[in-house]
Amino acid sequence: MTTPHEWQDLAAPYALGALASDERQAFESHLAGCEGCRAEVRSFSEVAGLLAHGAPAAQPPAGLRGRVLAEAGRVRPISAGRRRASPAWLAAAAGLVLAVGAGVTAWRQNGRVRALEGRIATVDSTAAAAESALAMLTGPQVHMVSLAGTGRAPTARVFWNHTRGRFIVFAFDLPAAPAGRAYQLWAIAKGKAPMSMGTFNTDPTGRATIILPVGQEIASLGFVDDCGLTEEPAGGSPQPTETPRLLGAWLHTD
Amino acid sequence: MATIPKVPVPDRELVGRMAEGEDIALGELYDRYGKTLYALALAIVREPADAEEVVVDAFGQAWRQATAFDPARGSVGAWLATIARSRALDVVRARGRRARAHERSALLSEDGIAAPIAGLGPDPSRGAEHSETRRLVAQALAGLPEPQRVAIQLAYFEGLSQSEIAERLAEPLGTIKTRMRTGMEKLRGLLRPLLEGAA
Repeated sequence: MTTPHEWQDLAAPYALGALASDERQAFESHLAGCEGCRAEVRSFSEVAGLLAHGAPAAQPPAGLRGRVLAEAGRVRPISAGRRRASPAWLAAAAGLVLAVGAGVTAWRQNGRVRALEGRIATVDSTAAAAESALAMLTGPQVHMVSLAGTGRAPTARVFWNHTRGRFIVFAFDLPAAPAGRAYQLWAIAKGKAPMSMGTFNTDPTGRATIILPVGQEIASLGFVDDCGLTEEPAGGSPQPTETPRLLGAWLHTD
Repeated sequence: MATIPKVPVPDRELVGRMAEGEDIALGELYDRYGKTLYALALAIVREPADAEEVVVDAFGQAWRQATAFDPARGSVGAWLATIARSRALDVVRARGRRARAHERSALLSEDGIAAPIAGLGPDPSRGAEHSETRRLVAQALAGLPEPQRVAIQLAYFEGLSQSEIAERLAEPLGTIKTRMRTGMEKLRGLLRPLLEGAA
């Protein structure tokens, strides 16, 4: 049993990113309902931020500023007003993926798989979690779904390892759900109510790598049509309470 | 080049303008934090070319996610440092542990474990405000008992968990936990003047 005082002791190591993953997850669940601990985390995160100034002084190369700006020129901020088409992005998100033609899908998948291979190495998780995820991805009988929003908005990829009965979830550029809220994934089979695949949250940099067990109900279907992501109260909802923010169709890869 | 206004625009306003797609605001933010983030990245990845990649990647992420920045959760500086540190640790992890272990043994034997912590010397090439911040941070770190400073440094600059630190230093886990917590509390006290100005 962890007392309130002991929880508070975790705020400093949490801000330093030094908790073991099980401890971190337990603390994050606690944070959802504890304003006192959230305030401690905010405070220690500022202290940690100042540690950046403790690095030895170094002069960045002159061209670096230009590279930073050039990179920004390639992509737009998520939902920046200037370039975006007018419809609300929630509505757009629901329609976008389904509108993509088969040829384009194949082309995008190649790019995505390559991007994924590159990014797996840098996914924000412990080395152990990453290794475990890789083992799952390379097994037989794996299906994948890519969930997309608008433009450069958040994306997610979900792999379903049938042999091991696990979903492996990678989320990118998805801002962390606020305190007391979480992201929930849904398996959508035609003619059936959406089935929860589980909940997760992203880290402060908008990334997540999560492995979720495949529930009995979904496993018994063997295959579902679509996968959606909604934001729900922490712990999840029995049924989605909003239009999916991200949505995609499962692909057969074997 | 961006023109520099006489009254400095608050950081959070720059982030708001980035969210609108203004790349001039990104340039100004780079002028404020680029050097700090580069130094942070270099302290973690040790290779200038990798540090550059980290900085480009970190500002790219800040640019894309500017709309998600929430001032209630912390300052712009802490947000940027979190992103850059996380990207830098990704690079180190992707690179594998082998080369890293070699560097560590050199670090431990020659300069003591606290080597990456900045010295107290002046840095004439930096703006006065940042020099002052660096000086205060270096002074605060120097004010910690070494075991506490080492625990914090291994977590922040090397991305080690408490149990990894305990293993590395061959100390009981409970001891490391206490050192880290006590050290951070002490730092928070010593850095109070900077923290109050950070909002």
